[in-house]
Amino acid sequence: MDAGFWILQFLNATQFSMLLFLLSIGLTVIFGLLHFVNLAHGALYMLGAYIGISAAAWTGSFWAALVLAPIAVTLIGAVLYFTLIDRLRSAGPMNQVLVTFGLIFVFIDLVRIGWGDVALGLNAPQVLSGATDLGIVSYPTYRLFLIGLGAMVMAILWIVLSKTQIGAMIRASVENEAMAKALGINVGELFFAVFCVGCALAGLAGVAAAPVLSATTGMGISILIPTLIVVVIGGLGSLEGAIVGSFIVGFIETFSAAILPGLAAILTYVLLAAVLVLRPRGLLPARA
Amino acid sequence: MFFQSHARTAVLLFVLIGLVLYAATGSYFAREIVVEIAILAILAISLDVAAGYGGMVSLCHGAIMGMSAYTYAILSVKFGLPTLPSAVGGIAAAAVFGTAVGWITGRTAGIFFIMATLAFGQMAYTLIFKSRWLGGDDGMGGLDRFDLSWLGINLGDSLSFAVYTVVCLGLVYLAAAWVLRSGFGRTLSGLHSNEDRLQALGVNTVIHRARALGFSGLLAGVAGILAAQHTLYISPELLFWTVSGEILIVVILGGLGTLVGPIVGAVLFVMLKHEVSEYTNHWHMVVGLVLIAAVLAGGRGIFGQIEYWAADRRRAGKEQSAEAGDA
Repeated sequence: MDAGFWILQFLNATQFSMLLFLLSIGLTVIFGLLHFVNLAHGALYMLGAYIGISAAAWTGSFWAALVLAPIAVTLIGAVLYFTLIDRLRSAGPMNQVLVTFGLIFVFIDLVRIGWGDVALGLNAPQVLSGATDLGIVSYPTYRLFLIGLGAMVMAILWIVLSKTQIGAMIRASVENEAMAKALGINVGELFFAVFCVGCALAGLAGVAAAPVLSATTGMGISILIPTLIVVVIGGLGSLEGAIVGSFIVGFIETFSAAILPGLAAILTYVLLAAVLVLRPRGLLPARA
Repeated sequence: MFFQSHARTAVLLFVLIGLVLYAATGSYFAREIVVEIAILAILAISLDVAAGYGGMVSLCHGAIMGMSAYTYAILSVKFGLPTLPSAVGGIAAAAVFGTAVGWITGRTAGIFFIMATLAFGQMAYTLIFKSRWLGGDDGMGGLDRFDLSWLGINLGDSLSFAVYTVVCLGLVYLAAAWVLRSGFGRTLSGLHSNEDRLQALGVNTVIHRARALGFSGLLAGVAGILAAQHTLYISPELLFWTVSGEILIVVILGGLGTLVGPIVGAVLFVMLKHEVSEYTNHWHMVVGLVLIAAVLAGGRGIFGQIEYWAADRRRAGKEQSAEAGDA
């Protein structure tokens, strides 16, 4: 285990953390703002990957797919919002879990009908294929691009949430919805906008992950559990929580798989249990 | 709060007798369906005790059942114990696991409870999935059914085994109804409807939650033993979280918090599954759509909705007679 090994693990962990961040930020803000448990968030990620693969095939361009897939997933999300999610907002967590669990089944079968049951790959664009020499190690260029993409989204969201008026309105609505309404914030519109951004990021994560992981019908379900763990560890509704949670889960999963393969599988669950017992509201809860 | 109304007794007996008759007159395939229904119904009753009466919507009941099945397999195959003590051990393991989860999550509620149970279930799944000693994702075989030859019963026979699972279902229902009617069951309902008030009355809510999930786990453990004895082979798939999700679907379709409803739900779920699978292999999409429709329709489930209508009519009838009395 030389320095190169550790640098590789570090990059792998960072890349996985970024993927988790793209998914968990949407989920956590929808959670915090709408009090809505969207188990179908992973299914939207799966749809992003499949739609991205088709879009890349039609247009012949990875970059077009990277833009089109999030747009398509946002449209699907908007339809869901007006048909189901808006009317389930006050229905309690169990009904939300049930309906979105049903949606997972529906989306998986729709993908099986539309794309078949085989795993599909997506080629990274020419510029990003191959590996980049980083001095001590060389690392796949596309994975470096993923890290950059995640960092960019993180920076944009941080600026929007902490420095702009929209961000202040969102934070106010998470903190105290009734008060925000009384101050004249159109909370309903704000919720819808935030929900759409969350869906777009899930779609982006799906298409961005496709060249690395290849698209399967099980990808939505398998990413859902780590994403939920990130959200609970970080604290519902908080950007900082999603960032910290993504890095904790991403690094623990990657490093324990490399160092302690026997324990790797359960370490994150142990961590989650510890957080739930010691700090049931998460490490960095949005609401004081 | 739980009441064993005459209507509930009638539906329960009707379903149990119907299942036995269906197994007795049907083919081997019909008996397999009866076994499948009985196991799913036991799981659904177990979840209804926790979710419908205790308000604890658990997504780890598949894992609890799997713990029981794996303990049964470990004790009987790896350690060579006879089947009966192995089964007792399996059920005890499920009860202990349920109690532990209930105790650790005792202070969480709502969505946090759901997530926590999801996590503990997945933890158990991953542990078993990764364990070479337990066969990993290949699962374990070489299991045995009970030897009831001293009663003149051969459980290796498909009809006997089907009847045996239905008898277990009846016993599980009796146990659940008995506990729910006890003082403990009443406390549980109180926890569900107003936890603050019970705490003010001096009730230790964490211990009650843990006990309730432990009892629910015990019932799910029975299903685990039956599942292991049914196929004589177990795999980690039993513990996966979507299994728990399916149990919740069955409870919702039948009627949450009615105890009989989950049995009705299990019958419908298994029957529908086999019917739909004849025409299409997109059975899961049908389940998803039915589930969404059921929740949007009020979420009372089939049996729950019928009870609700009946209660509504009774109320209307009483009001009418009261008005007549006034006049």
